[in-house]
Amino acid sequence: MSEAPDSYEAAVERLEQIIDRLDSGQAGLRETLDLCREGRELVTYCSTELDAVSEGLEELRLDELAAKLEQAPGDHS
Amino acid sequence: MEELPGPFPVGRYARKLQEELRRRARVRLVGEVTGVSRSRVQAYFELRDAEGAVPCSIWLDDLEKAGLPEGGLRDGAEVVIGGGPDYYPGGGQASPSFAFRATHLRLAGEGDLIARLGALRRQLRAEGLFELQKQLPRPRLPKAIGVVTAESGAARRDLLAGLRRRGWAGTVIWGFAPVQDRRAAPAIGAAIQELAATPAVEAIVVARGGGSLADLWAFCDETLCRTVAMLRVPVISAVGHERDSTLIDDVAAVACSTPTHAAEAVVPLDCLAAREALTRSAVALRRAGEGAVGARSRHLVALARGPARALRRERIALNQKTREIRAASERGLDERRAFQRRLALVVLSRAARRAAGADAEGRREALRRAEVAFRAHEPERTLERGYALAEDSDGEPVTSAATALAVGHVRLRFADGGVGAEIEQDGGGG
Repeated sequence: MSEAPDSYEAAVERLEQIIDRLDSGQAGLRETLDLCREGRELVTYCSTELDAVSEGLEELRLDELAAKLEQAPGDHS
Repeated sequence: MEELPGPFPVGRYARKLQEELRRRARVRLVGEVTGVSRSRVQAYFELRDAEGAVPCSIWLDDLEKAGLPEGGLRDGAEVVIGGGPDYYPGGGQASPSFAFRATHLRLAGEGDLIARLGALRRQLRAEGLFELQKQLPRPRLPKAIGVVTAESGAARRDLLAGLRRRGWAGTVIWGFAPVQDRRAAPAIGAAIQELAATPAVEAIVVARGGGSLADLWAFCDETLCRTVAMLRVPVISAVGHERDSTLIDDVAAVACSTPTHAAEAVVPLDCLAAREALTRSAVALRRAGEGAVGARSRHLVALARGPARALRRERIALNQKTREIRAASERGLDERRAFQRRLALVVLSRAARRAAGADAEGRREALRRAEVAFRAHEPERTLERGYALAEDSDGEPVTSAATALAVGHVRLRFADGGVGAEIEQDGGGG
């Protein structure tokens, strides 16, 4: 991937720009192929982001999390 | 310091101080009760709010007259007291002390709280604290969120249901805290700060069900609201119902009326709809890519066929021309043959005319002219003009003096006849 987007929303915004440009029919062959490649990368990125919040809701407790973090250094010793 | 009056005995000064304070105007104060303690005859407590506190005391008789419910004067209670400042000068053994002597006391009502809330709201707004959270960027698709709420409340269940409806299944970190007593505000504040300090947490929800303003008073706590305002992680408040407005709603990035709305605010992206939109985008991209390449390759193929088509067109045109030329030349040959036939006919007809004597007169005339020309050159014509022709005995012309001497005898032909003549050497000299 040429350059990872800053966020999901940035990726979607760029993706919409790309599709608008492609729909306009103004892009030449080279630009079209470049835009399609960039668009596919963005779709992959967005899909990965969505996958990350689709695999089952995980619930943690702040007090347990804090205890875990405090224990963490000891686990390695 | 020698210029100051005195020195006066301190006991006298203490009593004067007591008199002075007791002369001050009697007023009502409102605030939260903390540090309640009792002696045999008095109750002591501090009345405080975020800006400060005053030590208070009330005679147990006066407290009884206030008619508070059992345990009404307790830490965290919002009360209104009436009275004035007092000073106990102490004594030989007893320590001096200052206190606001309350003669009347009641629990604060809605009106008191609304008035306090109004003052706090004006203060925080004037400091610009309402705007800070609203300026923070909020991620549309956070992977982890923090939630501060009561462990057993309905708000927890409603929020989870709302998140699931959006198709969101990331990580929720619960910061459980009491949401209604005097410990609530500090505990909520601590949980929010801990969640904000957890790197994975991208947004925080603070949720509680509805209640009276007194029930929700912890969410109007000035310290808590200042803490929220200064956080760099966006906080979404969902405290009380639609008609309830707490101070945390004002300082939060977003204020929601229910936990369900809070779920939509903390994960703005509807994941199910986003997945469908993404699929549509992927299809659009594939079509655009294939379409662009397909259309252009068809165009290229068409271009590549162009020369062949042009050649074929030329060949057809050429064949057509060839046929036309052949046809034309065949027509030409026919015409030429016809012409030759016509020419032959003319020649034959002229020969026939010649043969028929049509031209004989001309020819006779020409013959006659030739005869005249020829006769002009005949020797007889010269002889007629007076010349003579010398011939030898064989009739051959003698054309030189030497030949005449050699033959010795010649015949001279004149126009009217011939005579013989002897040749002799010309001795006369001409």
